[in-house]
Amino acid sequence: MTRWFVGSITAFVVFTFASTPVAAQTAGTYTPPKTREGQPDLQGVWQALNTAAWDIQDHGASLGIPAGRGVVEGNEIPYTPAALAKKQENLKNRDRLDPIHKCFLPGVPRITYLPHPFQIVQQAQRITILHEYSRVIRFIYMNGNPHPAGHIDWYMGDSRGRWEGNTLVVDVTHFNDETWFDRAGNFHSDALHLVERFTRTGPDHMLYEVTVEDPKVFTRPWKMSMPLYRRQEKDIELLEYDCAAYLLKQEWDKSDSPLLR
Amino acid sequence: MREWLFATLGTAAAVLLVLPITGRAAGGEPQAFYKPDTPKFPQARTWVAQKAKLPPYKAPRTPDGVPNLQGNWNGPVGGGNDDLEEHEFIDVTTPPQESYVSDPPDGKVPYTPWALAKRNEIRAGLGRGWPGENGQRLYGDPNALCLVGMPRISFGAQEIVQTPGNVILLTTNTYRVIPTDGRPHMSGDAKSFFGNSRGRWEGETLVVDVTGINGETWFDSAGNFYGPNTHMIERWTMVEANTIDYEITIEDPTLYTRPWKMTYPKRRAGTGPGANPLSTNAVGAAGAAPAADPYAKEFWEQTCTEGNHDNVVILKNLGFKWFNAPVPPK
Repeated sequence: MTRWFVGSITAFVVFTFASTPVAAQTAGTYTPPKTREGQPDLQGVWQALNTAAWDIQDHGASLGIPAGRGVVEGNEIPYTPAALAKKQENLKNRDRLDPIHKCFLPGVPRITYLPHPFQIVQQAQRITILHEYSRVIRFIYMNGNPHPAGHIDWYMGDSRGRWEGNTLVVDVTHFNDETWFDRAGNFHSDALHLVERFTRTGPDHMLYEVTVEDPKVFTRPWKMSMPLYRRQEKDIELLEYDCAAYLLKQEWDKSDSPLLR
Repeated sequence: MREWLFATLGTAAAVLLVLPITGRAAGGEPQAFYKPDTPKFPQARTWVAQKAKLPPYKAPRTPDGVPNLQGNWNGPVGGGNDDLEEHEFIDVTTPPQESYVSDPPDGKVPYTPWALAKRNEIRAGLGRGWPGENGQRLYGDPNALCLVGMPRISFGAQEIVQTPGNVILLTTNTYRVIPTDGRPHMSGDAKSFFGNSRGRWEGETLVVDVTGINGETWFDSAGNFYGPNTHMIERWTMVEANTIDYEITIEDPTLYTRPWKMTYPKRRAGTGPGANPLSTNAVGAAGAAPAADPYAKEFWEQTCTEGNHDNVVILKNLGFKWFNAPVPPK
């Protein structure tokens, strides 16, 4: 474990310096307004505008799925051979296997790039992200507490934040293995560890970067990045997408629904 | 195995699944089940009398100059909202309790004749072994399927956070955002479980006007219901340093003969009579938790749907129907 970790850090450093993410080039040059507590102000209603919810890698179109540029830096996900085989099985059977069909909590980072808006609410010791999708809440604690002792199997993990300059850095651990990264079957284990970075790059834009580590599934850490956009509609607000309720209502009167078996 | 379970347990299984297993004590020692001689829990009638005697109170202000309601608040303490109207001991999880209804003064929901018949039909088919049931299984409490709607979201513990232009209510697994910037409602045709909330400040009171409610959940677990035309107006007023007076007016001429109100005090977590020692979430536990636990005031992931699948399947297989929003005949 320790050796893997050191090795992975080395790989990560090399990887980070070898690639030049286009979006990251603008990070750090914009000075965001501050909240009353003096923190960079990330508040408002934001949304990703890409096709990562379907596939985080470059992909062509299919029925109901738009083609898209990937959000994975370098486009390659460094699966172990066994994990790559599982990913391909997942992809082949995604209409049946994608856990999002059950309307459970969708995991991190997938929740961030689902095609629904989210609202960031800041307090001095906690940043809360309210998601329209299933009213999912993420609480990011910045109260000095480390991750609680574990392992804890949580869908959305345990999020601990800190400021590095104007960037919110969130360390996320304590995941279960029941969520995917996208509809294309990209997956992780309960050893998933994320480091997310939220950096305002302008009045209406924010860079979202996430480094993914999971020694049970990947041979080295890898990274996604994408811009987030402030919703411009004058009266934008989070509405309701109660996935589980709609699913139950649709399936309730079916005599043999695979989803209610 | 499954057939055996249903054949053997039948209604009893449904009862256990639909209801919380543990009762809530009015203060002092936790108790697993209520007894027939449990004293009647106070609700609206007692609170209306108490608050009439309170001296005027002016709440502290936020930097925006509006009353500061922020903090962790409990829902109504007592025996729970199994049945919002006044009742005597019904079963071990439903102790005697005053009505949540403060107006009309008799504590009854002023249903139209059609709606009262509908409520009584639902109540007779709850399948939980209550007096007056007809032995059929009609509807389970939608809340048992993890469906949450107005106004029950306010009947639990929550944290209030205020940002410029927003009042935000947080629980461990859901939230409401109430804009207070004067924006108009969406079309009432856009229905949702929580509806469309618009807040404004009237002196000490946050008034929240809620439209667009879909009518697919209940006020309680005994079938007291509203519909897709129901309009709710909440009034949140801090009346003491640690008490919010919560009042909600329900209007729907298609279901009720007059507007009616429910009222209860929301106490700051860890204060007030009846602070719940059995509470399992961080809001309710905040005051009671050992100070040494640095995580005592954190909200941790609390799932519902994710762990509820077996309950849902069993309720469906027991024959409970899906509760659609009730619409009276024209």
